[in-house]
Amino acid sequence: MLDAGPLTPLLVESGGGRIAPAAHGPLGDGVDGTIGQLAYTRNKTFRFAVALTEIPASTAFAPRVFCVRSGRSTRDDEFYGFEARHSKLWTESLALNERYRIATSPFQDQNWLRQLFAPAFVHWLADAAPPGFSFELAYGALLCSTEDDDPDPAALADLAAATAHVATRIRRECEE
Amino acid sequence: MQLNRVGIALIAFFGLVGLGFVVVPVVVGADGQIVAILGLLGAIWVIVAGGLVLYARHQRRKAAHQDEVFRTGIRGTATVLEAGSNMTVNEMPMMNLRLELDIPGVGTRRTSRREVMPVFAANRMAPGLVLPAYFNGADPGDFVLVW
Repeated sequence: MLDAGPLTPLLVESGGGRIAPAAHGPLGDGVDGTIGQLAYTRNKTFRFAVALTEIPASTAFAPRVFCVRSGRSTRDDEFYGFEARHSKLWTESLALNERYRIATSPFQDQNWLRQLFAPAFVHWLADAAPPGFSFELAYGALLCSTEDDDPDPAALADLAAATAHVATRIRRECEE
Repeated sequence: MQLNRVGIALIAFFGLVGLGFVVVPVVVGADGQIVAILGLLGAIWVIVAGGLVLYARHQRRKAAHQDEVFRTGIRGTATVLEAGSNMTVNEMPMMNLRLELDIPGVGTRRTSRREVMPVFAANRMAPGLVLPAYFNGADPGDFVLVW
């Protein structure tokens, strides 16, 4: 079990960000992290398979980047009603836009974001990421998730690999 | 940045319902006392809607100015020196930040900033955190903090 704390919107939504059961270790591509299950109840119970890792260098470039599956129910608690707290990221990929809602905090470096969402990464997100995949990058914490009530080992392995792929992509862009 | 759906819904709710309180009793020929009471209530709601419109315009101008600083300003950094909160707005912490600004070509300076942040953001505001910032070239004290 891991009490990750309120690091990302999904972890906030879940209450204390308790990942249980949880296993810590290499996720792939030299990326270490924690993988496990997250559940919370809001009228009904929502269950996710999640993988959490850290990319501290990303904060200086993009404090918040959310790539969430279109249609996933998320709590809309960031608005006063008179001030936008997110900027939608525009991409040319129809497939990506159909599958995800991508948002960043306002005033983030659009050039850096467009380089992050390079065509190969966009193609991978749109066509090769696991079903129900989403990721939230917030202040260096990367939480990847799939909407899977009872993931089998293969599904967890896919999530771990996908998390490593996203983390490596972000790290490389931070280093350039 | 613009008025979002929640803001539009609030203005529409207070404006239309307030207008309804004023107009409907007159149209249906209600008792004079009821017309007066609902009319007063409706007028207050319409005034609230008007206030919200003015606030939205103020926020829009502020956002336009921030956009201008973002597009034309100097990119630097803001390092969090101290962070704390003693109140919340809509369940979100109002963070008091003490910052050290590093402005390329100008130097460093210290300042304070208050921001209402979602819980996951507020939780990460700790000394040493470096955030991007954009500074107005004519007035480096005028800056946009990217958080």
